[in-house]
Amino acid sequence: MTAIHVQYYAILREQAGKSAERIDTSAATAAALYDELATRYAFTLGRSQLRVAVNDEFCEWTTLLSEGCQVVFIPPVAGG
Amino acid sequence: MSAFEFSHVPLDTQALQASLQDPASGGYASFEGWVRDLNEGRAVKHLEYEAYEALARKEGQRIVEEAITRFGVRGARCVHRIGDLGLGELAVWVGVAAPHRGEAFAACRHIIDEIKHRVPIWKKEHYTDGDSGWVNCERCAAPTVDGHHSGSEQGHHHDHQPAPLTAPVSPHDSPVPDYSRQIVLASVGVDGQKKIRAARVLVIGAGGLGVPVLSYLAGAGVGVLGVMDSDPLEASNLHRQTLYSLQDVGRPKALLAAERLRALNPDVDVRPYVQRADASTLPTLAAGFDVLVDCSDNFRTRFLVNDVTVTLNKTAVIASVYQYEGQIQVIQPGSACLRCVWPTATRDGLVGNCAEAGVLGPVPGVLGAMQALEVMKVLLGTRSPAENAVVLFDLQTLQTRRLKASRSADCPTHCSGNDLAEAKPTDRGILENGPLIDSLDRARALGLAIIDLRDEQEVTQEPLWVLHRHIPLVRLLDDSSVLDQSTGYLLVCTKGLRSSAAVSTLRERGHGNVYSLVGGIAGLKERSTPR
Ligand SMILES: [Zn+2]
Repeated sequence: MTAIHVQYYAILREQAGKSAERIDTSAATAAALYDELATRYAFTLGRSQLRVAVNDEFCEWTTLLSEGCQVVFIPPVAGG
Repeated sequence: MSAFEFSHVPLDTQALQASLQDPASGGYASFEGWVRDLNEGRAVKHLEYEAYEALARKEGQRIVEEAITRFGVRGARCVHRIGDLGLGELAVWVGVAAPHRGEAFAACRHIIDEIKHRVPIWKKEHYTDGDSGWVNCERCAAPTVDGHHSGSEQGHHHDHQPAPLTAPVSPHDSPVPDYSRQIVLASVGVDGQKKIRAARVLVIGAGGLGVPVLSYLAGAGVGVLGVMDSDPLEASNLHRQTLYSLQDVGRPKALLAAERLRALNPDVDVRPYVQRADASTLPTLAAGFDVLVDCSDNFRTRFLVNDVTVTLNKTAVIASVYQYEGQIQVIQPGSACLRCVWPTATRDGLVGNCAEAGVLGPVPGVLGAMQALEVMKVLLGTRSPAENAVVLFDLQTLQTRRLKASRSADCPTHCSGNDLAEAKPTDRGILENGPLIDSLDRARALGLAIIDLRDEQEVTQEPLWVLHRHIPLVRLLDDSSVLDQSTGYLLVCTKGLRSSAAVSTLRERGHGNVYSLVGGIAGLKERSTPR
C-alpha cells in the first residue's frame, strides 16, 4: 500500500464531498487511482475530461505513484 | 512655439521673454522656480525631473490657455525643465505679457499654481547624505523650488488701473487622470506608464470576470480597451457585475461598460463591440489588439480565444471560476496553451457555469482582479508565474496551487500548422462582410498578385501550385512596405484565418487593395474534390 495525498477540484470536490484526503492505495498509476476513487465516489467525469497533476506538475495518466506524493485531479471550469 | 513645453536643456530666459514681446502689452511678469538646497529639513545636492510628457504637455497647455482666456492677457508661456538639475538652476519659467500689470501678475501666479497642482511631473531628490527619493511635485515641489518674481513695467500711460479679474474658480474644476500612485512603483515608473498607455487590450466578456478587468485596466490608463459582449444586462448579473446599475437591465453590457469606463478615465479609448465572439468575428477583431483577456463563461468561447491567440501570436490571460474556485493561465507566444493543458475539447454543460453551478460575487471579482494584474505584468514585461502553468485558487480555504504545464506535442492548436484547430468549412466566412475572394481564378481575373503567408515548413509540405510570392505572415506584418500601393494582393494561408487577420491589419494601415482567400488552400482543395 502507498500513502498518497489527494486533492479534488470543482465538480470532483462536490462529488467526493471533500477537497483533500490522505489515502492508502494499491493503485500503481494515476489512472488506476482515479478509477478506484471514481468507483468510491461515483464521479461522473471520465478521465478524458480531466487532468491529473502529480507533485504540482500536469502529467500523463500512466505516471507511477510513489509514497507520499501529491495527486491533484482537476477538470477545466467554464464560469466567468 | 507652444504655450507649455518641456526642455531637456537649460532655459534661455532672454529668448523666452522676447517671444512674448508685443506692442500692445504694457506689462510683463515672469516667475522662475529654482532648485533650492533644502527640502523638509534634508539637504539637497541636485535633483532630476521626469514627466509623462504627452499627458503633462496637454494639461500644461490647457492651463496656460485657460489663463490667457480668463485674465485676458496678450500672451503667456511656461517651460519646465526635465532631467538632471544642480542647485540654483532654473527649473520652471512662466512669462505673461498683458496690457496692464494687474492681470499679468494674476495670470502668472495662476499658471504656476495650477502647473504645480495639476501637471504630472516627478522629481527625484539626491540628498547630501547620499540618499535619494522620488517625490511628486504636486505636493512637494513648492517648498523646494521657491519663487522669484520679477515684474517689469514698460508702460507709461496705463500703469494705474488693473483690469477687473473674472471670479476665480476652484483648481479642481477639470480634474485629469493621475497615475502617480502606480508610477511611483519601481516596476512601473514613467516608462512603464508609457507602455500601459501604448497597449491595446481586448476583453472578451463584460461579466463577473470582465468587470474588474475592465475597471482596473481603464483606471491604469491602458491606451485602447476593447469590450466584446453581446449580452444585455440581467438583474441576476448585478451581485457580481458591480459596474452596472439595476436601472440598466436590458441594455447591452458592452455599451454600458464603455459608458462607465469612459467616465472613469477619459484618457482611455474604449471600443465596445456588441458581438458574439465566434470564428467569424474574433480573429478579425483580435488582429488589432496586443493582449486578449478571456472573461467568457463558456468553453466554446474560451477555446476560441485560445486558438486565435496562438494563431495570431498574441498574448492571452485566461481565467474561469467554479463556485469558490478559480483557474488562471497566461498564454504567451511559445508557451503552453489552453489545449496543451486540456487537449480533449470539453463540452459546455459538462461542468457547470455560473448560472448552473452558482457563484458568490467576490469569486469572479478576485479572479478578474488577478487577470487585470497579470495583464499589467505582461504590459510591463514582468514574467508571470501563470505562464506555462495553471494557477488554482480555492477561495473557500484560501489555498493556492500552481500546477506546471508544458507545450504538448499533441496539442491540437499548436499542431495544426498554427491554424484554427476547429476551423471547419462552416467557420470559413471569417470576413463575411469583408474583402473575400473564393478562387484563384477570380484573383487572376482581378489581376491580384498572390502572396503565400504560411511558414517554411507548411510550404514545404504543401507547395502552392500557382505563381506567387512567399512572405510569412510575421514578416509581412513587420514590414508591409514590401507591398506596392498600386498593386492588388490576394493573401493565402492554410485555412484563411491568418490571411483574413492580415487583411484587416493591412487595411487599417492604409493598404486598401488586399484580399483574403476564403477557406485558404484547404478550402480550395475541398471545393475541387468531387463529391
Ligand atoms: Zn497548445
